[in-house]
Amino acid sequence: MAVPKDLRYTKTHEWVGYDRASNLVTTGITDFAVKALGDLVYVELPEVGELMEIGHPYAEVESVKAVANIYGAVGADITEVNEELPNNLEWLVSDPYGKGWIAKGKVAGPDEFNKLLDAAAYEKHCQSEKH
Amino acid sequence: MRRTPLYDAHVAAKAVMVEFAGWEMPVQYAGAVEETKHVRSKAGIFDLCHMGRLVVTGPEAVKAVDALVTCNVPKLKVGVCKYGILCNERGGAIDDILVYKDSDRVHVIINAGNRDRDFRHFLEHCGGYDCEVANASDEQTMIAVQGPAAESIAAPLADADLKSLGYYRFTHGKVLGVPCLISRTGYTGEDGFELFFDRKHARTMWDGLLAKGRAQDLRPIGLAARDILRTEAGMPLYGHELDDATNPLEAGLTFGVDLAKEFWGSKAVKEQVAAGLKRKLVGLRLEERVARPGYAVLSGGKPAGKVTSGTPSPTLGTNIAMAFVDAGFAPAGGRCEVDIRGKPSPATVVPIPFYKRERKKQA
Repeated sequence: MAVPKDLRYTKTHEWVGYDRASNLVTTGITDFAVKALGDLVYVELPEVGELMEIGHPYAEVESVKAVANIYGAVGADITEVNEELPNNLEWLVSDPYGKGWIAKGKVAGPDEFNKLLDAAAYEKHCQSEKH
Repeated sequence: MRRTPLYDAHVAAKAVMVEFAGWEMPVQYAGAVEETKHVRSKAGIFDLCHMGRLVVTGPEAVKAVDALVTCNVPKLKVGVCKYGILCNERGGAIDDILVYKDSDRVHVIINAGNRDRDFRHFLEHCGGYDCEVANASDEQTMIAVQGPAAESIAAPLADADLKSLGYYRFTHGKVLGVPCLISRTGYTGEDGFELFFDRKHARTMWDGLLAKGRAQDLRPIGLAARDILRTEAGMPLYGHELDDATNPLEAGLTFGVDLAKEFWGSKAVKEQVAAGLKRKLVGLRLEERVARPGYAVLSGGKPAGKVTSGTPSPTLGTNIAMAFVDAGFAPAGGRCEVDIRGKPSPATVVPIPFYKRERKKQA
């Protein structure tokens, strides 16, 4: 299970990358989440200009068996969405932290990002969910 | 949560395990889509140990079962399996079942989630007959081999003649040395067999079948693919197409209901039929989105029914669903919509089953 060290995570299996210079976050769902979902059939992206709010669904990903909400990990104004993702769902499987990103957004600062789980804490959380 | 005797085998095979009807069951091994395609093209093996099995014996066993099920048991020849429904007094369905008429007993195969209440229903209503009802669910167990290669895998391992065993027929014989009841039945829409035998042989049988079937690429299949396979084949799942408040004929199960006979609940079933059923089950094809159970079917923008089962169909390359709609539902050109979490998505009414295998031509 891949868990990059430079990203932060939620218990609901979203990841967030933060760029200090631009104050932009990039978000997506983790390798663990993608594997748990199984065969993917659809992703519903948010619109540019929408608000990402902590704990509120801003996108959804659907597998053969289920629909899963993707929750906001930080508060952000969505500035860009991965338009090519719906036609390239395999990116979520092959590169969930790269080409499989879902949305980018402008944040007020690093505070909310810093409060998220780091890689070690997230890995521990995934272990606990497996049992 | 209960575990079948094959739990360790599933974990060793790296299956994803989930709760189903109180049991910890494999939902997938390689992936639901791949497993579905595998059963349609080759063969798969299924752990069905969680399903329930009742055995009714005694001089009036046939009469007793016949009094409870919608199908006609006295009419069945020995060695024949028949689909039927257990109804309640309101004409709804307690469960859907398979009846196996044996020489000295009747076997009733029931859903895992309904094991206890079906058994109670039999105990309650068989009292007036000279018969005994036993719940063999824990002693017996059940494994299915399904797919076009099922016969060539299973036949050489059995001392009974499986090649000439007809569809919905059963026989007794040894498979890999284990005494079994073997039926040519299944829940996939493919050819195949279901084996019933003593629980203590479950792991030996599972491993043995997989080892002997390896040359023909026999693989374990999880519940997710099983659900896709049965939906493609238009087979009902209790709790979805059938429940306590559903008349079996609303669900289109005419082949399993003999209205010329009496059975528990038949008065209500017949009255509802005579008065005109309010709903009917239809098949839907959705090119864009997957309809899930509970989603509303819309006709001309107005609610006209509810989806009971829906899935992507790997075999057909589209999304399929079954839905209960108002009896008068007849949209122009079969075109309607399904409300996908607030967004209407186009759907077309199509016949059930969605998929029918090509039957082998008799040589």
